[in-house]
Amino acid sequence: MAYLTGYEYYENNGNLPEDANWGSYQYTSLTDIVNNFMLMYVGNDKLVNNAERYNVLFHAKRGIQELNYDAMKETKIVELTVCDNLRVVLPPDFVNWNRISLFKDGTLFPLTENVQTNFAKSYLQDNDCRVLFDQDGDVLIGTSLLDGSRIDGLHKTQYLGDGPFHGSLGYSIDGQWIFDFSIGARYGSNSETANMNPTFKIDKASGVINFSSHMTDEIVVIEYISDGMEGGDDSKVSVNKLFEDYIYAYIKYAILNSKFGVQEYIVNRAKKDKSSLLRNAKIRLSNIHPGRLLMNMRGQNKWIK
Amino acid sequence: MINSVRNTVLAVANKQNFGYITPFDFNLYAKQAQLDIFEDYFYRYSQWITKQNVRQSGSGYSDHVKNIEQAIDIFSTINTPDDTNGPVFPLPNDYYLLNVVRYGNREVERVSNSKLLHLTSSNLTAPTTTFPAYAMNGSDITVYPSTITTGVTIQYIRKPLDPKWTYVALGAGDSEPVFDQSATDYQDFELPPEDEPLLVAKILQYAGISIREKDLYVSGQNEEGKETQKQG
Repeated sequence: MAYLTGYEYYENNGNLPEDANWGSYQYTSLTDIVNNFMLMYVGNDKLVNNAERYNVLFHAKRGIQELNYDAMKETKIVELTVCDNLRVVLPPDFVNWNRISLFKDGTLFPLTENVQTNFAKSYLQDNDCRVLFDQDGDVLIGTSLLDGSRIDGLHKTQYLGDGPFHGSLGYSIDGQWIFDFSIGARYGSNSETANMNPTFKIDKASGVINFSSHMTDEIVVIEYISDGMEGGDDSKVSVNKLFEDYIYAYIKYAILNSKFGVQEYIVNRAKKDKSSLLRNAKIRLSNIHPGRLLMNMRGQNKWIK
Repeated sequence: MINSVRNTVLAVANKQNFGYITPFDFNLYAKQAQLDIFEDYFYRYSQWITKQNVRQSGSGYSDHVKNIEQAIDIFSTINTPDDTNGPVFPLPNDYYLLNVVRYGNREVERVSNSKLLHLTSSNLTAPTTTFPAYAMNGSDITVYPSTITTGVTIQYIRKPLDPKWTYVALGAGDSEPVFDQSATDYQDFELPPEDEPLLVAKILQYAGISIREKDLYVSGQNEEGKETQKQG
């Protein structure tokens, strides 16, 4: 991609959207990566020869996907309202979540994932508990009681407020807590689930996030990672420049590794090259510098009560 | 160059009393000889790349790969194919080897028909307007994605034009036609001048076969052998 003029960068040459090029200098486009690789790394006198462009394109995209999964820290954030069904559909480019928070009264409350299941698929059964089928032989699906109890607030959750019931399991209905009669002794709260905030559980197969009953009509903020493929628009796929050399090394390694007749030492060299460049890029991206460390170290003399 | 080649051929042939070669025959031999040498460029190119990789070719004036590329590039042509049936585009009649297909400033990649289905079925490799692809079918190319219906240009290596030594026929009493470069159908050889000795040698071989003169054929073959050895 050609270098931008100041006017192009700040105001997109007077076109809309004005912010189209803001921050674009951090990134190298997929087109540039593939072109540069074909020009500089593929040839009769190079380690990689007779490689088709689609090979390079495939490995470049795979490399970018891998980077998006962990190293790149390119988090996407979406804000949604949770309705009565206590369910939110996952964003279209969702791959995995980083953090899911409740936004209330100007504060973000990070939610914890419910380790227990809060949704289920309910198979219809007859009086003898035999599963029922339709005329096509498919199992008939009914309404899940587990889902229903969660949505109706009939699912017991842990109360972490003040008072003698702190840590007890109870029902939260319309903001009021109701507890069963206590039987037996209690030996402290279950720290694994000890969190006042609502909980969630992701139903990956259905593509939804199920929330506990406290989330009705609340705002949820989902921070998640995608694979960087920009919905299949190759012209928008890019990678941070700190990872540019790594991507070239990744493509080179991937091609050499799957090619017949390449000596093992060449494959190993390419592998080491790739790994060390990834490490370098991660260190660079982590922005460890004295000013930042100084701020962290300021807390060293603070008394911990 | 064609007149010089013809004069040399006639000189060699006549000197040894192997007979006269008519302009019609000469033009036929010339066409065949030029095609032979032209096709040989591609084999030599491949051989020299192998040699280059084992340091048997230098840079500058000893860069044989570059020299052969230059010879081939004489025939390089850029053409905008008819887009009436886009995304299917017809190839020009004179194409010998399709080198690059472009869509705007992007290269359209050639994909073999056996890989096409896999390529278009995969999310990661499916052709897009950013990374388009084409497949060849007969004398047409089909560009993918099918939304590309115009704006395609091709760069190809064309076949050499048929050389034609044109002449003015003199009166009935004169035996020698006179070379006429101004004729509308005149066509010189398109090969670079360094290939003139090779052209002469090849035409001599064809002439030798034609007049069933073994010595002329062998002489031409020996000359060609020497030239080929020199060129690698």
